[in-house]
Amino acid sequence: MRSLREFLSLLSGTHERAATVLAMNRRNLHYIYTRNERRHFPLADDKLLAKEVLVAAGVRMPETYRTYSYFYQLRNLEQDLDANHDFVIKPAQGSGGNGIIVIVGRSGRDWLGISGKIYTAYDLQKHISDIIFGVYSFDLGDRAIIESRITQHAEMEELSPLGLADVRVIMCDDFPVMSMTRVPTRQSDGKANLHQGALGVAIDIPTGVTTHARFLGQPIDRHPDSGIPLIGRTLPFWPEILELAQRAARAVPLKYLGVDISVSPDGPQLLEINVRPGLEIQNVNERGMLPILQAMTMKETSQDE
Amino acid sequence: MANTNSGGARRGIYILVLAIMVLLPISVTAYKLYVLDYPLAGLIPAPSYNVEVSMQVDGHGEDINIHTYLPKTDSRQSVDNEQNSSGAFTAEIKSDPLNREVSWKAENVRGQQGILYAYAVRARHVRFNIPADLTIPDSYPAALASYLVAEPGIQKDDPQIEAALRRIVPAEKPAILDAVTRIHRHLQDNLANRNFSGYTDALTALKLGEASCNGKSRLFVAMARKLNIPARLVGGLVMQQGSKRTSHQWVEAYISGHWVPFDTINDHFAEIPANYLTLYYGDLVLFKHTANVNFQYFFNVTKQLVPQRDAEAALSQSALNITNLYAFFERVGISQNLLKILLMLPLGALVTVVFRNVIGLETFGTFLPALIASAARETGLLWGVIGFLVIILVSAVVRRALDWLQLLHSPKMAIMLTTVVIVMMVMTVGGVQLGLFELAHMTLFPIAILAITAERVALMEAEQGALKVAHITFMTLIVIAACYAVMDSLFMQSLVLAFPELLLVAIALNLWLGKWIGIRVMEFLRFRRLILGSREMDVKT
Repeated sequence: MRSLREFLSLLSGTHERAATVLAMNRRNLHYIYTRNERRHFPLADDKLLAKEVLVAAGVRMPETYRTYSYFYQLRNLEQDLDANHDFVIKPAQGSGGNGIIVIVGRSGRDWLGISGKIYTAYDLQKHISDIIFGVYSFDLGDRAIIESRITQHAEMEELSPLGLADVRVIMCDDFPVMSMTRVPTRQSDGKANLHQGALGVAIDIPTGVTTHARFLGQPIDRHPDSGIPLIGRTLPFWPEILELAQRAARAVPLKYLGVDISVSPDGPQLLEINVRPGLEIQNVNERGMLPILQAMTMKETSQDE
Repeated sequence: MANTNSGGARRGIYILVLAIMVLLPISVTAYKLYVLDYPLAGLIPAPSYNVEVSMQVDGHGEDINIHTYLPKTDSRQSVDNEQNSSGAFTAEIKSDPLNREVSWKAENVRGQQGILYAYAVRARHVRFNIPADLTIPDSYPAALASYLVAEPGIQKDDPQIEAALRRIVPAEKPAILDAVTRIHRHLQDNLANRNFSGYTDALTALKLGEASCNGKSRLFVAMARKLNIPARLVGGLVMQQGSKRTSHQWVEAYISGHWVPFDTINDHFAEIPANYLTLYYGDLVLFKHTANVNFQYFFNVTKQLVPQRDAEAALSQSALNITNLYAFFERVGISQNLLKILLMLPLGALVTVVFRNVIGLETFGTFLPALIASAARETGLLWGVIGFLVIILVSAVVRRALDWLQLLHSPKMAIMLTTVVIVMMVMTVGGVQLGLFELAHMTLFPIAILAITAERVALMEAEQGALKVAHITFMTLIVIAACYAVMDSLFMQSLVLAFPELLLVAIALNLWLGKWIGIRVMEFLRFRRLILGSREMDVKT
């Protein structure tokens, strides 16, 4: 059995930026379809289901305060929400960060969103109804999750003052392949979505040091809003992040995964897992990930024989 | 390892299926070509015309009769796919050896009523060579007697016509070729063409020195009959893409056992073009109807190319025969056109797959482009694209308005669907009003898919911005155009209609594309720095 440390030393070896981009067709055919059985997809698509399995395996995740599956459960919503000062409402089967409302506190009888928006009880009830109805899930119905809001580690807050940054680690056969952190900007409107204008900052897996950054398809070395340098920073709790990613990957029968983690002051927490992780991470890292994947598979084959 | 074994078995079966999908259709095609001697030249499509006769009356409570002639299949023209949509009117069709008549009858007609009769026509160009030494016979079989007598509009015995004929054909015993050539040339060159639709008899045409088709044709028949050459009027339609009211008349002369056509308006001597449709023989009126009902009509002709008849006939003995396939479909009332759309859809899907997986264009829906392209077959590409854009735009706007109203999802989708239907109806009615009949066929668009697409457009616009929507819409239009080019290609159509087994090759190509792991063209652009950058480094070191 290879240890994580052993694998990291393999990765730190010289890797040329050969014409080795993992592209969509090969990703789907050789990595997603062969490693992620279709019947296990719901595990990644349904955050509640994933949470159940992952938390049972000892993966740290935001605490679930409450879930809503039926409209009648919304009758006492106001009282229900009174129990917590700040929280996040998200659809169990949402994607791309859609349908998520982050509440940071109260504003009189209403609630205060992270962007400063005021939500009335009716607004939240309507939003949760929409979630249950399946507006954000392309499905017939969904469940709404109310969970604890993650606050960022001070170093992450410095790197990402405009919202929660997440660390994406691509895991193949339970080992990390490539990583980056996605940093919301003014352009991305607080969302950690690269296509909407979030920063992508590449992280060297063995060291946890940021190596490259990309903003709107162009290389960049300073945060476009705050101006702080993006390169050469060491992520807090990096070994713990990798450990959490591996623990999560081992807990599910999905063997090609994007694992999204955020770093709170007392350590990393897993946000979600993704069975179809995007390819832009290669541009952010300024290298293709095929050699790493192939090196891993080759090693596997040689060990088997 | 069990996993490896199943992987090996999977690859074996993949290769086997791929081989079957390639070899089976190729052997069936080869069998057709070499054993059944299928004529490859038959792949070159022949023109076919869809003719719609559209009639309208205004009733005031009276009984209304409308009468006209329908084309018959003969050695030159074939008529099929006839469709009668006559609403309150009942149709009665009578056939005699010469003509096929239809009468529509309805009682107590009130308000505006329409009748639509449609058929598909394939016709050949025919040309006769009249031997120069052929003389006019003294007598003919009794059956031809009626083609030699005078008629009210064909005053063959009138002295003025006789005198004119003497000047045009002076010889006492002229050869037939000489006589008809002189008559034809005189009518063509010395009588001016007049483009008016009224009735002109032979004598009037002669006196005026000008005439429309019916006047010239009556004069031709009168002169031919006077020379003892049996002749008759032919009423019909010159089939050209578009809408028209004018029908046409030409003549046929009975020469050496053949009815030989002459048209002295368009100068066709002993020949008839492939776009002439014969509707009736004799000095008859094309439309007869109850008086004072404001009768209106027009012909709407669309030209398309179809596989040649004889090529289809060549396979008629085979169980693999495509005409048999037609017959199956026709038995349940599915038109050839729909069959063609069905058969071309896999090609459109294949084109879409190539654009998505090899080129890497993002489109709305996987097969929306192919479906829109097949619907656009009826409207033409331009109107299809315009219609698609209008529908998507209007429903995306409606979707935003509904968002503002804060409705639940399913009722909202139902409103979107209704909106798409209404927009299509408005475009259809507007198209007819403006005379853009192509637009009227917009109703073939896949409504539910459009509603879902409109929903997705609105969602994407809200989440990722109008720029992203515009980008994907543009990509979708490119793929629609490509699908249209392939699906509307007559060669591809004839090929698939003649060798439907080639659809298996489409499956084979998809099987191959399904295992293709190359970098998509758009990805190459996206990752060009990673791909090309490394090559530059290699060169430097």
